Amino acid sequence: MQDALIRKLESYEALSKQDHKVLTALVPKLRHVGPRVDLISEGDPPEHVHLILDGFACRYKILPSGQRQIMAFLVPGDFCDLNVFILDEMDHCIGTISACQVADIPRHAFDVITESHPHITRALWWCALVDEAVLREWLVNIGGRQANQRIAHLLCELLMRLQAVGCASDNTYPFPFKQSDIADCMGLSEVHVNRTLRELRSLGLITLKKRSLTIHDVEALKAFSGFTANYLHLKNGRWSERRSVPWLVQAQGG
Amino acid sequence: MTKRHNVETLVVLQPIAVDTDSSDREGMLVIANGMLVAVLVQLNDPEETRPGSWFMEAGFGRLRDMRLQPFDTLDDATRWVRQQMKLLAG
Repeated sequence: MQDALIRKLESYEALSKQDHKVLTALVPKLRHVGPRVDLISEGDPPEHVHLILDGFACRYKILPSGQRQIMAFLVPGDFCDLNVFILDEMDHCIGTISACQVADIPRHAFDVITESHPHITRALWWCALVDEAVLREWLVNIGGRQANQRIAHLLCELLMRLQAVGCASDNTYPFPFKQSDIADCMGLSEVHVNRTLRELRSLGLITLKKRSLTIHDVEALKAFSGFTANYLHLKNGRWSERRSVPWLVQAQGG
Repeated sequence: MTKRHNVETLVVLQPIAVDTDSSDREGMLVIANGMLVAVLVQLNDPEETRPGSWFMEAGFGRLRDMRLQPFDTLDDATRWVRQQMKLLAG
């Protein structure tokens, strides 16, 4: 697991042997969590930083009306709450979508590391900055794109993110999301989500079968939704040659 | 449709075809006390979880931007609209 964390961070920043040693000493707790379970709730003190090793999770809030708003989908390799570990309490919830393998990294361990290891700190910044960039793009998505484009855009984004961590092959990836999950992150009704998925299927752009999504024509779907991958910073780094993370495949393979 | 008493909202449904960019096109204008407040559309796709139910495709005024589950019947929809109008008036 420590090796996995090192590889994840090294995909953003070159780390020294000393950095490796410090990360190896983290000894995070690993656990399996079932689907639709909260990892941490709004109001909780964030004592651990959660790292998703396998499965899908989301960041969400419940409005007084009971309406859920999903602000992020978290895929393997994503830190759930890197951005809040220095805060006193969670201002939102993090819950699993599918069954997940999660690493709990103690908050104080991050404090110690970031005080004396600038490369690790910089790698953590990378993670946080990309999370922010994704959030910005979601704002653009919700505020500026039509319903069918929004959903198509999300499908393209998930493909890129999952490909980057070795969780997609032949433009196919696991799709454990319910229509209500998509609706709640896109600010749409389930009816609109259903219609859009039907439309994308009838256009021959996607197939959704046995909780697995295949994009038949990625370029066409990108054009349809106005998708540009720049905000994911996948091939934009100085360490781009290191940006494949086979550790995730190993972690998922057992 | 008649008013039961003075505060009851008069809700009238008027059939209309709606372009939803899908096969759902049978719609109803929902007129409350003479004002258009919503457009309902009947879901007819067999893949839809509740085919035959009525979805609020658009809401106006205080019903704007409300994300609702479809109503089983037009009566349910009408009852809900009347309740909303009562809530808003109160």
